[in-house]
Parts: sequence; structure tokens; C-alpha cells
Amino acid sequence: MPYKVQPGVVGTAIRPAIAGNARSLEEIIYETGQAALADAGLTIDDIDGIVVGANDQFDGRAISVMMASGPTGGVDRDILSTPSAGEHAFTMGALRVASGHYRTQLVMAWSPTEASSLSEAQRLGADPYYHRALPLDELSAHALQAGAIEAKVPGARQAALAVAAKNRAHAAIACPGSAHPAGIARWPLSAEMTSAPVSGCVALILANANFIAERGLKNTAWVRGMGWATEASFLGDRALADAPALRAAAEQAYAEAAITAPAAQFDVVEITDATPYAELLAYDALSLCAPQDWSTHLSDGSFARGGRMPVNLSGGVLANNPVFCTGLIRIAEIANQVRGKAGAHQHPDARLGLAHAGSGFAMQYQAAIVLGAEQGARA
Amino acid sequence: MNIISSRDRVGIIGIGQSEFRARRDDASYPDLVREAVVLAMADAKLDFDAIEGVVYSLSPDAMVGIGNAERLGVDAVGGRSKRFLRINTGGATGISSVTAAYYHIASGACDVVLTAGADKVGECGDSQTVLNKIWDPTYERQLPLGTINMLAMSAVRYMKMYGMTEEDMARVTVKNRKQAALNPRAHLRKIVSIDDVMSSRIISWPLKLLDCCPQSSGGAAMVLASEQYIHDNKLDAVWITGLATVAETYWMGDRMGADPTAEHADAHALARSFQRSYKMAGITDPAKQVHVAELYAPFSNTEYHSIDAAALCKKGESIAMMRNGEFELGGRIPVNTSGGTLCTNAIAVTAMARVAETALQVWGRAGAHQVNGAKLGIASGNGGDHQIFGTMVLEA
Repeated sequence: MPYKVQPGVVGTAIRPAIAGNARSLEEIIYETGQAALADAGLTIDDIDGIVVGANDQFDGRAISVMMASGPTGGVDRDILSTPSAGEHAFTMGALRVASGHYRTQLVMAWSPTEASSLSEAQRLGADPYYHRALPLDELSAHALQAGAIEAKVPGARQAALAVAAKNRAHAAIACPGSAHPAGIARWPLSAEMTSAPVSGCVALILANANFIAERGLKNTAWVRGMGWATEASFLGDRALADAPALRAAAEQAYAEAAITAPAAQFDVVEITDATPYAELLAYDALSLCAPQDWSTHLSDGSFARGGRMPVNLSGGVLANNPVFCTGLIRIAEIANQVRGKAGAHQHPDARLGLAHAGSGFAMQYQAAIVLGAEQGARA
Repeated sequence: MNIISSRDRVGIIGIGQSEFRARRDDASYPDLVREAVVLAMADAKLDFDAIEGVVYSLSPDAMVGIGNAERLGVDAVGGRSKRFLRINTGGATGISSVTAAYYHIASGACDVVLTAGADKVGECGDSQTVLNKIWDPTYERQLPLGTINMLAMSAVRYMKMYGMTEEDMARVTVKNRKQAALNPRAHLRKIVSIDDVMSSRIISWPLKLLDCCPQSSGGAAMVLASEQYIHDNKLDAVWITGLATVAETYWMGDRMGADPTAEHADAHALARSFQRSYKMAGITDPAKQVHVAELYAPFSNTEYHSIDAAALCKKGESIAMMRNGEFELGGRIPVNTSGGTLCTNAIAVTAMARVAETALQVWGRAGAHQVNGAKLGIASGNGGDHQIFGTMVLEA
């Protein structure tokens, strides 16, 4: 591990899907941040810095981090924003702790739905000359990727249907009674393969080893490795049935964490299943399962609850789709698993977990985060 | 924060600044980013293979009219399959991006990191229409607030508290334009007089046209590296020895009235940020130790409270010192020798240019506006509604 100081996750709060408009975004951010602090047994006075993933288009503001400085506790404190992705707030916060300059960081991301049409907000992110007029939004890009995977891998559609069924079964345990409404169809994606966007918010507390020891904090999910990377800008420049950026991110994370046999080493995995096809592609790029084995491993229950390496015990994005923070939620879910605090969907012995975060058009941004119950080798 | 040991330093090894003009019709948005990146990579004498991570510097997306426009800049920065993330802290984005790049290296994760960005403020239509959207949609957006009238209110309060006159404001413009005339990269390089400023049309009293920064289009890029990498590869560098970011309240109303949480005349959080940067760099008497300063001041009046916040003098003393020429090139502590934000403002990279210009000064590479013997310099960036501040100390 290259880090000068090893960071660990000591608190999390994943807000369930937020219905109605009884809470302002500021209130949602404040309550979620406070819940993560309470989970860690800390107060805002213990926090040295804040990194938020705040997206102007989704929030309906310019420089959305400005609004967030109050409810996160950022006044008279160090605050940065990574509008590229919620998961980038985690990597940035972890790097700051890893430097030894900061004891702690509060990391947050959120995704409201009331500001505007998400599809239109996403379409503004398309190239104005060539792609915006198509029209292109994230679901359309995901659908193009799904089509490319179907064309390349025989049996991919059946495997995708199995992924969706697995994640919906997990969701029934993780959050019973929730509606988990299907999204909308975009060929070849059926409505059952997508989920309706909801409002959401997530917060994590990172701390360094000395702080964790001094405060006697329990249940730490240690950051063992991090990787993040990006695909090219234009969909036409990409081979959509492959994910080279995720391969690069996995290579970084696995090297840091000394993971040599990913398919055999992780107890539990969370993947950003913006669609089931995205989950399938991640199996391959994360070296968890090659395409020719997708169907076999999905049918034998390897990735299901009770299986060899359960994937998305939380139900994944199909169960809860606050679009801009689904990647950071995956990291928080793995932290919860490793900390033994995942609740109804807790894995019985989660010691080492892998979180995949992806976002943007056909998952342009990719990240792989390895979290472990053991502190692991230090630099 | 801990004081870092010398072998853990992070250095700047390459700097690129594009040409800044009101319009850059000759370059698309990614082209502008690329222009700066090519210059920085050539300055660092590195190939793209050496770059392990990229921090993309972009403030409001609306300024370039593309949501998450950093995605379109991936190839311009050579970012494919590399660590890539974007920072946005408004006008402070440029210095926040250098800070983020610094922590990629200071953490031990990377040895060489590129930070880059560009803006097309001059081609966005009207930046104040975009910037009005930074305020709360329910309470403050309708006033209507913009960044010009926001800082005009600060000027009025500074006048009342410290005795600044409109001529004192004009004096800053005269100084910075004179210095910009020596900087081939600056956007506004025409020398002006106090009378020119005073007779220019009022934009938002007491700010007149020549008290205000231009809307600029251009790009900037920097390459940072670990001390070990710089040593092993026998590279030339200057060092980031102190850095911090501090925010204050979002709400304009909380900075005015009888009992403000942070007085709007001053730059409370900027002062806090400088205090932290100085502590990290071991600076105990900035007024004596700082040789050169690039302070983010988009309006003439804000250079005064920025100098105060940097503790280059006591609060309000900057007015008399400016009258004495102490902040001019050749004066005691030259401020904004590049012409500063007042002469060039491509928002996404303006605060990066402050770092870049300070780095060039302590490197001894600033050209015609070089401060003789400058070995220690400071830089700052202001973002949001004068809310998020980044500061740095750079040393040769």
C-alpha cells in the first residue's frame, strides 16, 4: 500500500429513498451528515475537512457546494467538491487522510429529483454539436452499452435477466416493504432491468489509524486499495462492450491491496448496477468472472445471498437509485458489510469487500475500492 | 495539520498558460485545455506516460454551456484510463485543483499528477446571469445578486470601516494594468490613469467599469511531482510548502447587519486560510517573509482586504501602503505583478494562474514582471459568493 497513513471508514449513513418534498436539500444533507457522525461516535468538531460530490445540474444550482457548506458543517472548515462523481469525493477524502495532514474527513454525495427532469439535466452533459440532439441521456447510453454487450456475448440477455432477478431478491431482504419501482424501458433494456430515480443522500466518515486508536473507535473498514479512471469522452471512441477504465481502476486498487486472485479473495462485492449489463461488464473488468462464465455463475448462485461471493446484497441500484450518489452508496454498503453493520442483508463473515462505483454516460467514470476488516500491510 | 518533513515535499515541475482574450474563436473548449496542457508538459519535459493522475479544474458548467464539461476534456488532458476527477469551488477552483493534485502525491498514491482546465467566460453570453444562479433560489437569487454588486457591497463597508476612497480603488487598477502591460499572457494590458478609472461608467457603485475584471477565455495547466521523483529524475522544481482551504457562510445576509458572523468588508475565511498555510510553511511574520503575492482580486477594492487577510499589514493599513507604492513592482511586497485577476479572469483557471504566476516568480522565470530575488511567494483563490478560499505558500 502506497499511503503514508492508512485511512479507515468509521461511520456511514445511507438515507433510504426520500419520498415527497417535506425536507429541503439542506435539511437532508444536515441530517445525513449528522447520522454518519453519530454512527462513528463523533461530532462535527472532530472533522478536519469535508469533500462533497455535488452536481450543479442535478441540484439546479451553479457551484452547488456553496449551499452545502452550511449543512455539512463546512463553515470555517476546509471543504472541496468533486462534481465529476460522488465516488470521487471518497477518493479525494481518503487521499487527504492518507497524506497525514488530516485526521478525519466527512465525505458526502446526494441526488435530488425535484429540481428538473434528470433526463434533460443529463442531456446537457452531451456534446452540444453531435450527441445532444440525438437525444442522449444516461439511460440511452446505458442501453447502447447493453446492445453492444448483447452483440458480443452470447447469452448476455439471459444473464442480465438473472442479475436483475438476483438483485430484486436481495432488495426484498435488504429493504422489505419498499416498492423498488421499475424504471422505463430503453431497448434492449426492459423496464424491469432499470429503476426509477429517487432522491437520496449518503455520508461516510474517514479517519486515520492514530485517531481511530486514540478514540477507541470500533468496527473500522480499512481502505486497502483504491483505483479510479475514466473512459474517453465520446461514445463513438469507445468499445462499449468493454470497460478499459474499470480494468485500469481495478489494477490500481488490486496492486495497492495486494489482491492477486480477485475471484477468490473477496467475501462480498457491491457493483453499480445502473443496468444489469453494467454489473455483467464489471464482473469481467474486475476479474471476478469472465463473460463465458456469467450464465453458469449466475445460475449456480455464486453471486447470490449464501453464495460463494455475494454481489449486491443491498439490492444494488435496482433497489435504490439516487442517480448521482449510487457509486458512493456502493462504497458505504461495503463499509457497512466489513464493519458488521449492514443490518438485514449482513454477510455472516465479511472480512474483505470490493466496491465498484461507476457513473456518467455508459459508465464513463469507473472506480474500485477495496475495504477490509484487517488493517493490512502498511507502507 | 502536521508540518511536513522536507523529504515529503511536493513540487511544481511544469506550468502552461494559454493566451487569454475576450474570445478564443480559434479554439474549442477542449482545444483551450489542450493548449495549456501541451505547454505545461513541454515545460515539465515529460511524456504523457509519466502522468499518473489528472485533476480537472472547472467551475460552473453553465459557463461553458455543457453539463459536466470535464467529461469532454478527458482526451485534452490525456486522461483515458487514468485517475481523473474534477474539482469545483467556484472562483477558487484553480487553486483547489492544485491542492487536490498535491494530495494525490502527498498521500503517496501518485508521483506525477497533471491539473488543467479552461474557461470561455468571454463567450458565455453574460457571466452575471450564470453567477446569479449560485445563490439560494428562494431568498437571495431574486434580489438580484451578482458577483459585481455582491462585492460592491463589500467595498461600501470597507470604505466606511477603513476609509478607502474611490480613488484608492482606482489606484489598484492603475497598478495592475501597468504590471499586466509587462505580462504577455494578460488579457487587459492597456495602461490607464486614475482619471480614466474614475471617468469610466458606473457598473454597481462604487465599482466602475475599470474597477472590474474582464470576462476572459483561456486555459491553464500545471504538473506536480513528488520530491523523490524530482530528485531521481534530476528535474527542476519549486515547492508547495503551505496550503489550506477555508469556507465561510453562504448567506450574504449573515455577513452584514449589526452582528455579522463574518464581516463582509473583510475576508474572514481567507485570513483563516492564510493563517493555516503560514503555520504549515513555518512562516511567523508574513509581512517580512513574503517576497511576492498573487492574490485573487476580481475587483479593485477586494485587493485591499486580500492584502489585509494575507497579513501583509494590519487591517486597513493596505490603503496607505498602496498610496506609498509598497505593493507595486519594485515596492516592498509586490502584489499581482502579472496584472492579477483584475486584468485576466477565465474563472475555471484564474486561481490556478495565481499559483502559476507565484511559482514562476519564485522560480525566477516570470519575465518582464519578475520580482528581483523572490524566493517565497503566496497565492490565493476566492470562490462562490466570496465564500470558499484557497491559499498557498510557494518556495524556491
